[in-house]
Order: sequence, then C-alpha cells, then structure tokens
Amino acid sequence: MNSKETQYTRRSAGQWAVAWRRFKKNKAGLAGLAIVASFAVLAIYGLLLDPVPARSFGCLYQGCTNLPPFVDSAHPLGTENSGIDVWNEIIHGSAGDLYVGIGATLISVVIGLLVGAAAGYRSGVSGAVLLGLTQIFFVLPVLVIILLFAKIFLFLVAQGLALSLIVLTLGIFGWPLFAFIARGEILRIRELEFVQAAKSLGASGSRTLFRHIVPNLLSPIIVLSSLAVAANIITEVVISFLGFGDPTTSTWGLIIQEGFDHIDSSWWVAFFPGIAVVICVLGFNLLGDGLSDALNPRLRE
Amino acid sequence: MGSLLNYIIRRILFAIPVFLAVSIITFLVTNAAGDPVQIVRLGIRNLNPAQLKAIQDYFHVNEPLYTRYFLWLADLLRGNLGQSLYSGSVAGKVVPWIGSTLELQIPAVLLALAIGIPIGIYSAKRQYSKSDIAVTTTAIFGISMPTFWLGINAILIFSLYLRWLPSFGAISPYPPWWWGNIYTDQLAHIIMPLSVLTFVSLAAIVRLIRSSMLETLRQDFVLAARASGISDFKVTYKHALKNAVTPVVTVVGLTFGTLLGGAPALETTFGWPGLGYEFVLSATILDLPVVLGITMIISAMVLAANIVTDLVYALMDPRVRL
Amino acid sequence: MPETVLQVDDLKTYFFTEAGVVRAVDGVSFSLTKGKPLGLVGESGSGKTVTALSVLGVVPRPGKIVSGKILFEGENLLEKTENEMRGFRGKRIGYVSQDPNSSLDPLFTVGNQLSEVVTTHEKMSKEAAREKVVDLLRLVRIAEPETRMRAYPHELSGGMRQRIAIARALASEPDLLIADEPTTNLDVTIQAQVLELLRALQRELDMSLILITHDMGIIAEMAEEVVVLYAGRVAEVARTAEIFAAPRHPYTAALLQAVPRVDRKRPLVPIGGNIPNLITPPSGCRFHPRCAYMIDRCVSEIPPLEAIGGGREVSCHRWKELELRGSS
Ligand SMILES: Nc1ncnc2c1ncn2[C@@H]1O[C@H](COP(=O)(O)OP(=O)(O)O)[C@@H](O)[C@H]1O
Ligand code: SF4
Ligand SMILES: [Mg+2]
Repeated sequence: MNSKETQYTRRSAGQWAVAWRRFKKNKAGLAGLAIVASFAVLAIYGLLLDPVPARSFGCLYQGCTNLPPFVDSAHPLGTENSGIDVWNEIIHGSAGDLYVGIGATLISVVIGLLVGAAAGYRSGVSGAVLLGLTQIFFVLPVLVIILLFAKIFLFLVAQGLALSLIVLTLGIFGWPLFAFIARGEILRIRELEFVQAAKSLGASGSRTLFRHIVPNLLSPIIVLSSLAVAANIITEVVISFLGFGDPTTSTWGLIIQEGFDHIDSSWWVAFFPGIAVVICVLGFNLLGDGLSDALNPRLRE
Repeated sequence: MGSLLNYIIRRILFAIPVFLAVSIITFLVTNAAGDPVQIVRLGIRNLNPAQLKAIQDYFHVNEPLYTRYFLWLADLLRGNLGQSLYSGSVAGKVVPWIGSTLELQIPAVLLALAIGIPIGIYSAKRQYSKSDIAVTTTAIFGISMPTFWLGINAILIFSLYLRWLPSFGAISPYPPWWWGNIYTDQLAHIIMPLSVLTFVSLAAIVRLIRSSMLETLRQDFVLAARASGISDFKVTYKHALKNAVTPVVTVVGLTFGTLLGGAPALETTFGWPGLGYEFVLSATILDLPVVLGITMIISAMVLAANIVTDLVYALMDPRVRL
Repeated sequence: MPETVLQVDDLKTYFFTEAGVVRAVDGVSFSLTKGKPLGLVGESGSGKTVTALSVLGVVPRPGKIVSGKILFEGENLLEKTENEMRGFRGKRIGYVSQDPNSSLDPLFTVGNQLSEVVTTHEKMSKEAAREKVVDLLRLVRIAEPETRMRAYPHELSGGMRQRIAIARALASEPDLLIADEPTTNLDVTIQAQVLELLRALQRELDMSLILITHDMGIIAEMAEEVVVLYAGRVAEVARTAEIFAAPRHPYTAALLQAVPRVDRKRPLVPIGGNIPNLITPPSGCRFHPRCAYMIDRCVSEIPPLEAIGGGREVSCHRWKELELRGSS
C-alpha cells in the first residue's frame, strides 16, 4: 500500500527483536522464564508420563503414611496423613494450577479484548460505561464473590468439572483491567496518522485492526497476562485452602489445606507445596516484570 | 472549604450506582444456580422448620426474581440483614466482626505505609545498588506469596516450634493469659497476623513507591530544582517524595480492597474472629444471610476506603478539581 | 581585553546506558565574555542541554562528566565538591530549563517554590523572603504578584510559568544565566514576549547569558556570539553578524537555509538525514554522512577546531576552499 505502512510494520518487527535482545540481558526476567518453563515441563510430565496417579492413596496399604521428608527416596518430600505423596501432588498440582492460572487469564483476555475493542471503536457513552464497570470490579471484593459463587455452584456441578468452574469464574471476574487497557490503546492508536491514512485509502476495519492495532496491543497485554496468571494461581490456592475448591483434582491449594489440618504433626505437607506456589508465582511475576522492562524500556538505564 | 464538601458529596453520589451494581452482582451470583432456598435445603441435612422460614423470609420466596432483589435491597438499606439460620440477627452478629477485621487491617496498612515509603525511596535513590537489589528481591518474593501460607509458616516457627506466640484467635478463651494479663494476651495474639499482613502489604507498597519515585526523579522539575541550588535532601524529601506518594495513595485505596478480599484466608489461618473468618465458617454451613451480609459489608467498606483515599488524593494534588 | 566569565575546555559528558556509551558531549570548548549574550545552537540531540547541565554539575544518571575543564570566573567547577557546587548552582549561575510545563513542581504553589530558592541562597525571615519573591515576580513583569504567588503551576499559562522559571533562576542575581530553549514550548506571540524579557533582563542586571536554541532566527535577535554544536562537538564559533553573512561550516550554512524568513521568498531547505546515533558516531567529521561537500579525508580524519582569525573558529577540513552562502 503506502510506504508509511510498510515502514511502520518493519519498525514494529524490529521493535520485537530489540525487546527480545533487551529481555535476554535481564537476568531476573530470564529466571522467570526458566521457572515458568520448568513448571510447564513438570505439568506435562504429570499429565502424560507420571506412573503414580494423582491423589493416590497407595501408601495407605504399605504403611508409609505421615512420612517425614528426606527419609525415603520413594517419597522425597514425605507423605500426608492418608498416604498421599507430597512430591507427586506438587507434580500433579502444577498441571491443575497452570490450568487455572493460564485458562482463567485466557478467558479474561478474550472478554477484555472484545469489550475493550467495542468500547474503543465507539468512544463516548460506551467508554464511560466501561470505566464505570471497571470501577465496580475494583470495588467488588472479587475473591469473596468468587468464594460465594464456588460455594453455591459446587453443589450442582459434577465433581470433575469443579476446577473448570473455578477457571470460568476467575476468568469472568478478571477481564475489566484488560478491557480498560485495550480500549485505551485502541483509542490512542486509532488517532495515529498512519492508521488514519490507511483508512482513508479504504483499508477495511478488520484490516486496520489486525495490521496495526493488534501488534501494538500485544505488549501491554502480554505483560499484564503474565501478572494475571500469577494472581490467578494465588487465588486458586486461597480458594482451595478455604475448602471451596474441587476436592477431587490435585491442586497446590488442596494439598496445603490438607496439610494445614495436620499442621502440628506433619508440617511438610503444607510447607513444600507452598514453596512450589511461591516459586511458580514468582516465576510469572519475574517474567511479567522482565517483559515490562523489555517492552517499555523507559525505566531502565 | 465549600468546594471540598461539594467534592465529598459528588464522590458519595458516584458511589451509589457502584454500590447498587455490586449488590446486583452479589444477588445474581447467589441466584445464578437456581433458587437459593433449594440449595440450602440440599446442603443442610435436617433443616428445621424455623431455619426454613428464616431463609424463605430472607429471600422473599414466591416473588419473581426482580421483586426479590428489590425487597432484599430494601431490607439491606434499612439495616435489616436478616436472621442467621443458626442464631441471632445478622446485623447484631457482624458488628464485633467488623471491629476485629479493622483492628488488623488498618494498623497493617498504616504500618506498611510508614515502613514502605522510606524503604521505597531509599531503594529508588540507589537504583541497582546492592541494597536496592536486596529490597526488590524481598519485595517480589513478598508479592508472590499467598498471605495465609506465610501465616502458616509463622505459626510453624513461632507457635509450634518456639512456642513464643499463640496461633489461634484474638484472645485466650480463659486464663492463663499470655505474658501476664489480658492486655498482653491480646498483644500476643495480634503480633503474628499483623506482622504477616504488614509484610505482604509492605512488599506491594515498596514496589509501588520505588517505581513511582524512579519515575518522579526523572521529571524535569526535579532537575530544575537541583539546578536552582536546592539541596539534594530537600529535592528528594520535599518535592520528589510528595509527587511519588500522591499517585500511590489511590493505589493504596485499591489495595485496601484486595487486602479485605484476602481477609478470609488470613483470618482463617489465625482463627481471627473477623468478617473473613466468619464468612468462611458461615459459607461452609450455608448460612446464606450471614454470607450475603458480610459480602455487602465488605463491599461497602472497600467503597468507603476508596472515597477516603480519593479525598486524601484530592487534598494532596491541587490539580484535582474539587 | 574583555573579561571571560565562563570557559569550557574539551568537555566530555557521556551516558553509560545499557545499549552502550552515548557520547552526548564529546570535546566541546567555548568561552563566554562577561556581560554578553552567547547563543548555543544546534539541532535537537546535538548536546546543548547536556552541556548546560554539565556546567551546573547536575548531569542525570547514567551520565557522567568524563573529562575536561569548566572554568567559571577562573575556578574549575569540576574540582568542586557537591557542597561547594551549591554555592554556584542557582546562586551564581541561574538555569531556565527547556519546558515550562514540567519545570515547576505541580504540587506546590509558585510562591512556595520561589521562596524556597530565595531562602536556600540567603538566610532570611519568612516575611523578607515573601517580599523578595514579590520583587522577583515584578522583575519578570508579572502583574498582581501577591495573587500569583498563591497559584499552582497548572493554574497559570505557559508563558506565565516560563516567567516564573526565569524569576527562580534570577533569585540570587546570578552572574550567568543559562536559558535552555526558553521559548520552544510556547505560542509564537508569547515567545516574542519572553525573548524580549530575557533581553531586557540581561541588560538591566548586566548578566552574561547563554541562550540555547535550535532556531537561528532567535540567535539573530538575541545573541552577539554563536557556538554551533553538532552531534556533541563544536562545528563553528563566530560573532552573530559574521556567521549569518559568511558561515564557514557546511552545517552552519545548512542551519541558515532552514530558517524561515518573511522578507525573502527563498524556499525553506531542511537538512537532510538525521543527527547520528551517538553510541557509534560517524568516523572523522561527524557531519560527513549529511554533508554535501564531503571528501575522503572527512571520513578518516577528525577536523580540529581551528582558530581562523577574527575570533572565529571552525572545524571543517575544507573551510578555506568552500564558498558557503549566508542568509543576508
Ligand atoms: N538521560 C540520558 N540517557 C541517555 N542519553 C541521554 C540522556 N540525556 C541525553 N542523552 C543523549 O545525549 C544527547 C544530547 O542530548 P541533549 O543535550 O538533550 O540534546 P539537545 O539539548 O541539544 O537537544 C542525545 O543524543 C541524547 O540521546
Ligand atoms: S569536514 Fe568534511 S564532512 Fe565535515 S563539514 Fe567539512 S566538508 Fe563536510
Ligand atoms: Mg535540549
């Protein structure tokens, strides 16, 4: 089309390369990436290869319940009161928690982008409505509402689906920030000269959207997503810890809750899965910070 | 001062639709799975007739959904929070819980601000120094930790292993008191939950202040002030400080919402008899009037905290049109 | 022999960034005669602001003055401690920064910020400071100073803010005022007023003035002498009238072609290309990628800043042979 557009596209491809180069120099960000990747590997191993099924009570019959950590190499992190192996639960829990963290975030991103785009394209009234909605979600004690929701629904849902229900709930309550950012970016980009130029040359709305707006939206959304995954994992852990989660699917929160019930006899059951939570959440937070530094270099020297 | 009053009134008027929206969402969530009365019936075995009547009255059965909402809202606004399914009126029960939650939350926020602001500034002034790296590392660990899990570890160490502090409740149910008398007993009980909550809020505040301060130190007026001979100390602690803290005030208002949202887990861990702990207990036994009452009270508190922070912000920043 | 108030000698100020060392000011030398207005001109990014900040000793991180000398009334400022520097900054050297919209703290009243500077330089009572502030506001021609004192920066117009910034720079009657693009962010009509004010103040207070700008038109009106900066180096130094009549450096000539003039119908000729990346600047003469007169030698050899008589200096291998067009 016009040279302005090609120039712009080229430059934006260059920006990604620059961002990646900058990210590679950021030790904390790389550590975050490595942590996230390790948990992904762990989750896949648990889903596909691990010979010990999740929440296996096998030990109960071999008399190795309540085993402390580091004494039996078959149960490196010890076992729980009813014989569940802590390390095995951490492995299976990574699948559960990554599912919650990433799944809920994806739902939030999709809803947020759709709403934000709608509001961005019809600025004015819908913008004010969106702003108000965002305010409401800031005020709403979301966690409390989610607990209420989980409590009321868990009665009716088949047990295996309960975790998906939590994913859905977290996703539904997590979109406003994405919508807000999306709308802001769309309004900003729409005003830029080259988009105006492309439009006046007859570029269709969807073409403008995908060639110009999506690439620019990507960087704040990616940063925010990484942080949202971290927050969603913490929320899952809290929900399960309080006994509002899915008692049949392995998650870190569930095993921590079981450990807390026997905290005075077997501390390791709550402790080690908690370490997994901290490391995993830290990974996503570091990744988010690193991405934000790489994509928005203003704060670095 | 007239304009300030005006601002407060406008801000409260703006809060009304937000509160209504929150109430609608809460009510819809409660009714989304079907008739809440049926759910209670399903969930509580041996529901006695008195309980059934209480829950039927609370939800105004036999009315269509939207009428039920308005009746419920009308009750709520009149301060009638219904009857607990187990004992007493909800309104009577929640008052002490509110006090006990605030007893924990307000000192935690204030302490976190008092400690977090100087640390954040120190860290920003020495960006990338060893102490800055230590601070940022600790802070990112702090925000990556579920508050209650930190609480569990504190209990493991200080209650179960060292036996220095009690792990449960706000006060011992009967003597012997911790450390001598009833006041020291309360002190002994609050130390752990308060420290845990403070640490986690501190981590968030240090991060906010640090990045806000870095942003501010880069501003033209900081350079201009230094170039006009004002001492580095005064530039930092008068100009940069006020400019860095002002935007953080709003965020702290929002954080307060998150903190209150975290109350259920934290209070449950320490058996702290506040809104969060009672919410969990009541939800577990499906005492829906209590659960809904607490939800709406927490929302109202968050809303109030937002209004207060907006007000503080408006007082600090002359650019806000009163 | 006229007295020299400021002499900058082979100043190098670099920024040590993640991407590499930015040689923002790379061997700048010039001097300033007492009581005279000097223009420092160059495109945006040529190192004007960094030069000014170096003189004041407030180069922001990650920048550092690497070498050179800055003699102010005979004293080398680079040998001063931070504490000693505060006896110069704002006291004997005033600074008006680039953007009046951001150079004042938005959270304090104008009066508060001015009296803060006044009391920094001289111990005095609150009442005395207040009077001094009122005087300063009068000095920069602000009407109703008592009312204006209570205003916050956002309640004032851009021109008014710039006057306040000038008042702040004048708080302790400095010997030297550095005004960094004082009119760039103002409306055209306000620009003229602010320039007029600066010119008047410079004469009234018998100050030396360094006026930083990218606009040769402003130089023509305001400066007696000009230092032309390009990419962190001095391209040419001359008296204003001479440089307009007969520029010796191709970059100066290009700048002159870029000045819009009402009295002539000659088309505006923008300078082609951009200011180079200062992390890996061009070899030899830094202007060579954009210079119409470039020869092989320009790529391989750095042209020295030569004195060519009549107080003029130029840094170009071909200054003798080139016939460059001036603007008059
Ligand atoms: N804080 C900084 N970090 C890195 N580079 C900087 C910084 N400040 C200025 N520079 C670099 O120094 C050079 C000169 O800048 P400056 O003196 O502001 O130019 P001018 O005032 O002439 O427009 C520019 O190339 C700019 O990139
Ligand atoms: S030295 Fe060469 S490149 Fe540089 S200005 Fe002179 S002629 Fe042009
Ligand atoms: Mg500049």
